Amino acid sequence: MTPDLKRILMVEDDPDIQTVAQFALEAVGGFNVQVCGDGKRALEQTLAFQPDLILLDVMMPGMDGPAVLKALRANSQMSGTPIIFMTAKVQPQEVAHYKELGALEVISKPFDPMLLSDMIHQIWEQKYG
Amino acid sequence: MVSAPVSVEEQMAQLRASFALRLPGRVDEIASAWRAIAQNAWNAENAKRFHRLTHSLAGAAATFGFAALSQVARQLELYVEPFVPAQMPLTPEQRATIEQKLAALASPQLQSPTAVVENSARTAGRPAGDHANRRLLLLTQGSAMDRLIAQIGFFDYQVQLVNTWEELTQEYHRALPAAILVDADLYATRGKLDAYRVAPGDSAPRPPVIFFSAHGDLSARLTSVRAGADAYFTKPVNLSRLVDKLDLLSSHQAPDPYRILVVEDDEDLAEFYAMTLRQAGMEINCVSDPNLVLQQLMDWKPDLILMDLYMPHCSGLELATVIRQQEAYVSIPIVYLSAETRIEKQLAAMSQGGDDFLTKPIQPEHLISSVTARAQRSHALRSLILRDSLTGLLNHTAIKGQLESEIVRATRNHSALSYVMLDIDNFKRVNDTYGHPTGDSVLKTLARLLQQRLRKTDIIGRYGGEEFAIILPEATAPQAQEILNEVRSRFSYIRQQSSKEDFQVTLSAGVAAFPAFADAKSLSGAADQALYQAKHRGRNQIALA
Repeated sequence: MTPDLKRILMVEDDPDIQTVAQFALEAVGGFNVQVCGDGKRALEQTLAFQPDLILLDVMMPGMDGPAVLKALRANSQMSGTPIIFMTAKVQPQEVAHYKELGALEVISKPFDPMLLSDMIHQIWEQKYG
Repeated sequence: MVSAPVSVEEQMAQLRASFALRLPGRVDEIASAWRAIAQNAWNAENAKRFHRLTHSLAGAAATFGFAALSQVARQLELYVEPFVPAQMPLTPEQRATIEQKLAALASPQLQSPTAVVENSARTAGRPAGDHANRRLLLLTQGSAMDRLIAQIGFFDYQVQLVNTWEELTQEYHRALPAAILVDADLYATRGKLDAYRVAPGDSAPRPPVIFFSAHGDLSARLTSVRAGADAYFTKPVNLSRLVDKLDLLSSHQAPDPYRILVVEDDEDLAEFYAMTLRQAGMEINCVSDPNLVLQQLMDWKPDLILMDLYMPHCSGLELATVIRQQEAYVSIPIVYLSAETRIEKQLAAMSQGGDDFLTKPIQPEHLISSVTARAQRSHALRSLILRDSLTGLLNHTAIKGQLESEIVRATRNHSALSYVMLDIDNFKRVNDTYGHPTGDSVLKTLARLLQQRLRKTDIIGRYGGEEFAIILPEATAPQAQEILNEVRSRFSYIRQQSSKEDFQVTLSAGVAAFPAFADAKSLSGAADQALYQAKHRGRNQIALA
C-alpha cells in the first residue's frame, strides 16, 4: 500500500526558490509544505514537522545536502524519512552516487515549479506504488 | 466587495513579477562580492561567496523563466569555478572577462523573462534603443581597452574584439556592426577602410568608423581623415563623448519624424496631403471634425497643423483662434490651405493666427517644402523654449505643464500614471571634488541613460540642479519602481570620468501614482516625500509614496 505523501519539507537556501516552490507544491500538488534554508534548521524541522518527504538542495553554504543526509541517517528518529536531492549537476555517475548515499531520487535544477508536484508524485508511485 | 479568486497562473505571474523586482538587487549583491575580491588580495571566503551567489542566481533565474539571464549567470559561475580553490591572483584579462560578464548580467534585456507575457506597461512603448543594432567591432590588442569594453556595456553596446584586419573583415561580413572602432596606434590604417565601403545600390549605409589614438596632432588626424574615418578620439577615451558620437553616427538615431495634423473635411484631399507628406517621411493624422482637433493637440502633440480655411461647421479662422487661446498652443505653426485667391482674405487669415497660406490646388513639392520648413523651425524653437540646454530634457516649466496634461489624459482614459522625483546622491560633493564640468558630464550621462532605458512614451525632465522628474503614463507605482530600479542599478555601475580619477555615483528616487494621488500638486508632493524617504533610508534606492 502506498504510504501517504502529505507533508513535504523543502531544504533550499535561495529564498526566491523557496517561495515559488512552496507556493506551487501547495497550490498544484495540495501538499502541506514547510521550508528552511540550511542544514541545522533542516534537522530541527524534520523532528518538529515529521515530513513524509524531504526535498534537499545539494549545494548550500555550511552543511551541504549530502552532509544533511548523513546527519539524518545518523539519527534514529529521522533516518527513515525519504529524501529527494535537487541539484544543477546531474551526470549519471553523480545520480548513482547520491542514490548510494540513500536518496530516493535526484531532481535536476532548474525545475519548473508548476511541474514539480507531478514529478514528485511520479517518483513516489514508482517507489511505493 | 468580494474579489474573484485569483488563479494559480495569476499568482505565479505575481511571484515572477516580484522576483523580477528583486533581480537588480541580486545582481548588485554579486557585483559587491566581486568588488570585495577585486579590491583585496584573493581570499577563499570571498571567492566562494562570489561563486555561490552566481550559482544561486543562475538557478533562481531559470526557475522563474529568465532563461537568458540564467545562462549568463551560469557562464560566469563556470568561468569563476576553477579559480575558487586556487590561491593565484587573477590576470587583468581574467578580471576584464569577469567584469564584462557582470556587465552583461546587469543588462535589462536579460532581466525580462523570456517565457512570460510582459505586462502591458512595458510593451506599451519600449526603451528607445530596443531593436537597433548595438554591435561594435573593436580592432585592438592587449588589455588597454578592457575597461572601456566593460563600461560601454552599460549603454547597451556589445563589443566584439578582433586582433587583425582579416578578423575584422570576417566579423564584418558575418554580421554588420553598428560601428567599427580602431586603435589607430597599433595598426596601419591607410587604404584599410576601403573594404568596408558599402557597394553602390546597397540599402544599408556603411557603419561609421572611429579611430582611437594617443596622438592628437594634425598629421595623425589627417591620416585618419584620408583613411576614411568618421570620428577621432584621443586616449584616454572619454566614454560619455564616445557614446554620444556612436549614438549620433549610428543610423538608428534618425531624428523623430515631424508630426502634421491635417484638418480637412474633404476626404480625398486629406488623403492626398497625407500621402504626399508621408512620402517625405512625416507622420500624419487627419481629422475632418474640428471638434477633435483640441484632443489631438493634447494627445498627439503635432508639430504643425495643416488646415482647410472653409469647413462646413466651423471656419479655419475660428478654429485657429480657439487653438491660440491656449497658452500651450500659441506658437504651433498653422498653415492654411484654401482655394481662396482673394488677397485680403488670405491676409486676414494670416493675421488671425495663421503662419502661412497655401492655395489649392497645390503641387506636392510645394506642400512638402512649405510644411518642412515651418515644422523644422517650430521644432527647433520649441526645443529651445521647452528644453534644458545641458541635458536636452524638458525643463522645469515644461515638465510641470506635461504633468498637468498627462493627468487630464489619465483621468479621461481611466488609466494609471506614475510620477517620479529622482535625485543624484551627494551631487554637491561631485562638483566640489571634481569640478562643475565633471558634474555636468554626470548629469548628461544620467540624462542619456534615462532616455535609453525608459519607454518612448515616458516623459523626462530636468527639474533642478541634480533633480529629475519623470512621468510614466499607464504605469502603476510598482511598475514604475521596477523600471526605475533598473536605471538606478545601471547608473551605479557606470564609472564616471574626470581628469583626476574615475568615480561612481548613485541616485535615489520617490514614486507616486495616480489615481491614488489625484492631482499634480499631491502627486509631486508625494513623490517628493518618497524621495526624501529614499535618502533617509540610505540613498541608492527607490521608495514608493
